Amino acid sequence: MTEKHHAAHHGKKKVAGDKEWEPKIVGFLCNWCSYAGADLCGVSRFQYPTNIRLVRVMCSTRVSPHLVLDVFGAGADGILIGGCHLNDCHYMTGNFHTEKRVNLMERLLRVAGIDEARLRLEWVSASEGEKFSKVVKEFTEEMQKLGPSKVCTDDMVKAKVAAADDASETFRLKALVGKEFNLLTKGNAYGDKLDPEKLTGIIDAATEDEFERALILELARIRPMSVKQLGKVMDIPTDRILRHIVLLRQNSEIAMDHPEGFTPVYKTITIGGEQ
Amino acid sequence: MSSATPNAQSQEKAEGDDFVPKIIVFCCNWCSYAGADLAGVSRLQMPPHFRVIRVMCSARVDPEFVLRAIQKGADGVLVAGCHPADCHYIGGNYRTRRRIALLRMLLQQFGYDPDRLRLEWISAGEGEKFQKTMVDFTKTIEEIGASPMRGGD
Amino acid sequence: MATSDKIGAVMVVGGGISGLQSALDLADSGFKVYLVEKQPSIGGTMAQLDKTFPTNDCAMCIMAPKLVATGRHHNIELITNADIAKVDGQEGNFTVTGTQRALRVDASKCTGCGSCAQKCPIETTDEYNENTKVRKAIFVKYPQAVPLVYSIDQEKCIGCGICAEECKAEAVEYDQKESGFEIKVGSIIVSPGFDEFDARLKAEYGYGVYQNVVSSIEFERILSATGPYFGTVMRPSDGDIPEKIAFIQCVGSRDEKVGNEYCSGVCCMYSIKEAIIAKEHGGNIKPKIFFMDMRAFGKEFEEYYNRAQNEYGIEFVRSRIASVFEDPKTKNLVVKYVEKGEPKEEEFGLVVLAVGLTPPEDAETLSKVMKFGLNDDGFCQTGAFTPVSTSRPGVFVSGAFSSPKDIPMTVAEASGAAAKAASAIASARGTLVTKKEYPAEIDVSEQEARIGVFVCHCGINIGGVVKVPSVAEYARSLPNVVYAEENLYTCSQDTQEKIKQMVKEHNLNRVVVASCTPRTHEPLFQNTIKEAGLNPYLFEMANIRDQCSWIHLHEAAAATKKAKDLVRMAVAKSRLLESLENLTIDVNQQALVVGGGASGMVAALELAKQGVKVHLVEKEKELGGNLLKLHYLPSGDDPVEYVQSLSKEVASNQNITVYTGKKVKSIDGYVGNFKTTLESGEEIEHGTVILAVGAQEYKPEGEFLYGKNPGVMTLLEFKDKLKKGEVKGNTHAFIQCVGSREEGHPNCSRVCCTGTMTAAIKVKEKNPDAKVFVLYRDIRTYGFREKYYKDAAEKGVTFIRFDDGTKPTVEDKGGKIEVRVTDEDTGKEVLLTPDNLVLATGTRPSEGSEELAPMLKVPITKEGFFLEAHMKLRPVDFATEGVYVAGLAHGPKFLDESIGQGLAAVARAMTVLSKETLEAEGIVASLDETLCDGCGICVPTCEYKALEIVPDKKDEEKKTLDINIGLCKGCGACVGSCPSGALTQMGFSDEQIVAMIDAALEETVKNQEVKQ
Repeated sequence: MTEKHHAAHHGKKKVAGDKEWEPKIVGFLCNWCSYAGADLCGVSRFQYPTNIRLVRVMCSTRVSPHLVLDVFGAGADGILIGGCHLNDCHYMTGNFHTEKRVNLMERLLRVAGIDEARLRLEWVSASEGEKFSKVVKEFTEEMQKLGPSKVCTDDMVKAKVAAADDASETFRLKALVGKEFNLLTKGNAYGDKLDPEKLTGIIDAATEDEFERALILELARIRPMSVKQLGKVMDIPTDRILRHIVLLRQNSEIAMDHPEGFTPVYKTITIGGEQ
Repeated sequence: MSSATPNAQSQEKAEGDDFVPKIIVFCCNWCSYAGADLAGVSRLQMPPHFRVIRVMCSARVDPEFVLRAIQKGADGVLVAGCHPADCHYIGGNYRTRRRIALLRMLLQQFGYDPDRLRLEWISAGEGEKFQKTMVDFTKTIEEIGASPMRGGD
Repeated sequence: MATSDKIGAVMVVGGGISGLQSALDLADSGFKVYLVEKQPSIGGTMAQLDKTFPTNDCAMCIMAPKLVATGRHHNIELITNADIAKVDGQEGNFTVTGTQRALRVDASKCTGCGSCAQKCPIETTDEYNENTKVRKAIFVKYPQAVPLVYSIDQEKCIGCGICAEECKAEAVEYDQKESGFEIKVGSIIVSPGFDEFDARLKAEYGYGVYQNVVSSIEFERILSATGPYFGTVMRPSDGDIPEKIAFIQCVGSRDEKVGNEYCSGVCCMYSIKEAIIAKEHGGNIKPKIFFMDMRAFGKEFEEYYNRAQNEYGIEFVRSRIASVFEDPKTKNLVVKYVEKGEPKEEEFGLVVLAVGLTPPEDAETLSKVMKFGLNDDGFCQTGAFTPVSTSRPGVFVSGAFSSPKDIPMTVAEASGAAAKAASAIASARGTLVTKKEYPAEIDVSEQEARIGVFVCHCGINIGGVVKVPSVAEYARSLPNVVYAEENLYTCSQDTQEKIKQMVKEHNLNRVVVASCTPRTHEPLFQNTIKEAGLNPYLFEMANIRDQCSWIHLHEAAAATKKAKDLVRMAVAKSRLLESLENLTIDVNQQALVVGGGASGMVAALELAKQGVKVHLVEKEKELGGNLLKLHYLPSGDDPVEYVQSLSKEVASNQNITVYTGKKVKSIDGYVGNFKTTLESGEEIEHGTVILAVGAQEYKPEGEFLYGKNPGVMTLLEFKDKLKKGEVKGNTHAFIQCVGSREEGHPNCSRVCCTGTMTAAIKVKEKNPDAKVFVLYRDIRTYGFREKYYKDAAEKGVTFIRFDDGTKPTVEDKGGKIEVRVTDEDTGKEVLLTPDNLVLATGTRPSEGSEELAPMLKVPITKEGFFLEAHMKLRPVDFATEGVYVAGLAHGPKFLDESIGQGLAAVARAMTVLSKETLEAEGIVASLDETLCDGCGICVPTCEYKALEIVPDKKDEEKKTLDINIGLCKGCGACVGSCPSGALTQMGFSDEQIVAMIDAALEETVKNQEVKQ
């Protein structure tokens, strides 16, 4: 079932009590451009819906995937990130990195089964008050159409968002995304500039890996699970699950429990040693 | 503190959760010590309550060493050697097996839980077995509780 | 060529078990060795194996000491990640040029800590684990790799720069370029090993298509505790434990369709081994082996095969596999096969393909570059009498590169090749090896202990968990510790200088390093303190990385406490350390060879070529042994001519004294110092013994009318008649396995199948109309010998298989021979009336073995053959040093194999005979004679026969113990057994170990005191 379909079904049902459902939207705005733009919007008395709650950050690049996924995990229906236009960043190249990070967030949302449209990146300068109101209006309408996020109603989605959050915190993804901009523009350790397509492919694959591993750990934390059970719940091939398990065992993140007949089951190890 | 007598099995149980076992592990140089190293290389995690003493062959483990460790308050002693066919010194570990069996009987006669002494074969390739053994043995010792020599209450 | 032109160095190309053995033998007998390996680490295929047959020894356990010994040998230079480009010159004086590909890591700086790989964001599949696991783009092949140096996979690396940032040793060098080398050597040994057959070429088995069809080497990794599944047998599709496993034999072997007619020789045994191990790992697993002929031909192999059936319940099905299909739903596999002409099928959870051995990928390149010939199958060409020589003089070969073979044969050949390589340049021995000079040793015996402690951060490997500064601080507080410091890397070159400087500045007389494991690093630090004038045994190590920080990553406080305990324990032992002397033993540089057959003569000649005086003792009046009776070799070469030329050479060699018609009466002494007395009274003093006493053909008196009907004879007797043209009649039947593979003689005699093929082909060549029947159980023409089986079949020889349990029956009907046999394939009884009935009888040990064994305190098998020190890695050695075995005395084998072993025994003996003195271990047993009461309890605990009860010199009434330091290996087993405390182990004395125990538990005791 697609999320939209699901949402349409849900939309009428009213989620919290008797009150008509309204989307909850969080906006992260950079101090120097977008926040100023939002201020200008107010000064100019441009109107926009009340659904959005704004958080000021110094630079849009401060908005980490972890932050975004955490907010989605808490039940937000949409997240807006506002930053300076490219090349206008107060901190030189901050928003180029933001772009790369948002790519990763989108990748993670995709694998977690959250519609990527729920995350929006906009460049809003200090003088674009009107643009800000337009963006918020549009985004709110879109969220209304999409309906409520399934995080609060579907445990699997919740687990997936948590897994995406964990994945975003792995050294591997942080390293790849953190280096992405420089690798493409300044060249790598050998002095070569990487083919963007190749690098995107590598990061996509790494994201998928890390997300799936994190999800396995999420699921096997609740109760011991077999490769086949994980494959069914996660809807990915069992040989792929097994390869992840091999690595997770190697890293002492998961341990084999007593096998059920001919089928071994695995349980996530909680930090502090296998108990 | 009551004066714990060695044969007071019931008093061996440590009260509360603050019992930190002290375990002495004798590892033969060629297999088990290498297996313990491999556990490290593989970053396999285990409880930190044991101290390894390296000997060239598990057959070097004199009964006196085991008794000394017990006397000095060790809660458990593990002797780890090569698998019987793998001994670097051909047949050394067969002797180890007989010695440990005798020592366990001796411990029991003196009122100690014989499970405080364990023999395991751990090869150079068995990092995971080393980990499992340490997890399991630590658990066993935690269950048996503090050694009477430490005034096990 | 003038002697002075010879170069005293050897290049060994290929660093598998074969190359390691050659390198060690040569380096230990006075030659400089360059070991060139194309991969970044040595170890080869054996390093990938889980266990080895027929003893189920852990492969890494028995191999690691050799890896480490090679890596740290000061006369072996490792050139890894390298290729050979050109070989100029000739025997005795070659110039080899090649290139070393860039590792992108400075090998001299890399400590092998692995921080880089932990953080590298690029994952790829791990070749060492046959792609069942993941490795990083910066990697080391396996955890025990030698040299333990990481390298960057150029294809996978994206140059993100993280490894360089992580590496505190600053070892990563992205701009490192490949480098060329040009090296002068006198001999070359090629041992590049083999490749596995690519099972994709047998499309009917579905390898590469069906997830649960794996190759045998992949299964080896699946079985391994260090493999992907930590030793639990699981299948790749879903991680289920397969209840039923099918092993399919001869995949890519004995198969004309794929162009490999030869038998790979090892697959039957490794499949039995894998089935047994699988069964041991999971008791409910049911393995089934589908085979054509079960070729368990090696020493004690048949018994292993029997155990697999009887003790482990492994099923064996003689059949041909038509195809394998997958059930797409369960991913189970349906195996379709033909058994006794009947098509059958069965479902399995996992299928293991026993892939054959093929020539290594670079065989052709090597042959072109090094200019030696390959045979029709693409392996290195060798001769029937020159098993380790290539077609280019001075270039030798060993291992699976010359024909598929197992590990013991490989190791023997590797030593054999080393012997040939050494002979070619014997005059240059000792010219290129170096001996390190050290300052005079400081006498510390009267000094109070002044201990220096060096605590290592190992980058962040230790320091990231353990609070290293507080450990160093703690060390300073310990009694006798006068100095302590922390280092980023204690093993780095600058720290070695620092340690030496601190020894001088603070008059340290004991050094403790708290860092990684003594198994790899103790020799380095021992060398350092030796350079500072301290005895190397005044060093002690605390393992606070592998056995502390790495295994308690999440418990910093407890790990720090443990590290302090470990340092306290090391310091406690260190306080009691004493200088130990490595005692030296004088070596008599002459050799004794017992047995003047092919292997004995080959050994004697090779020793003589290396300048050794040899005493060759033969009990018969004539040299030559069994070869004199063999007449034919399957290759067409003439064995008699060969053996006669050997005898002549031996007789005319000035270095060899021959004692024919003489028997050994007694042998006394130990390595370097033996004294042998012959029955005729001669006394010989020598440093080593090679036992080459041969074996004999079994005479089956009373069996199958042997000795009763003149038409019944053994194989050798038949060949003798054939040679003399005395064979009568036109119909000949051969019965195989007479006196082999049966009760009392359970093992296979290895040579009889091929011997029968040779005779049968000869008969057919002489008379194509002759009728020849071979009654057999399994045809065991392993390796390239398979072609003789095929040849015999093509020439019209009829093969009739009888069941293991039902022997043919033979009757004498008025002088005529009647043979009845049930053909297992058809189930029908066949009646033959041959003119000649040839019994292919087994091999029996020579009577000499039983007499010699007790003289040298060496063991024999229950069948009476000599039992070597280790079935896999020490095929011609005994636990008793200085004694070696070669040829049939070790077990049935072919001529080329006997020659190989004869040469191998030479290489092993030369590690002793090339030296004037031997250095004994420092860590040995020592005796307090005042406490010893001569009870003798310790004597049987010594596997090396170093202990003996002798009369006390001071008190005739008393007995005491004599420890032969030359034989002691320092295990300490005797010390643990001594009831009176008279024995001690130097370096691991009771006091030292007890001090460690007490130190470990010190706090426990303190707490108790506080409480009380």
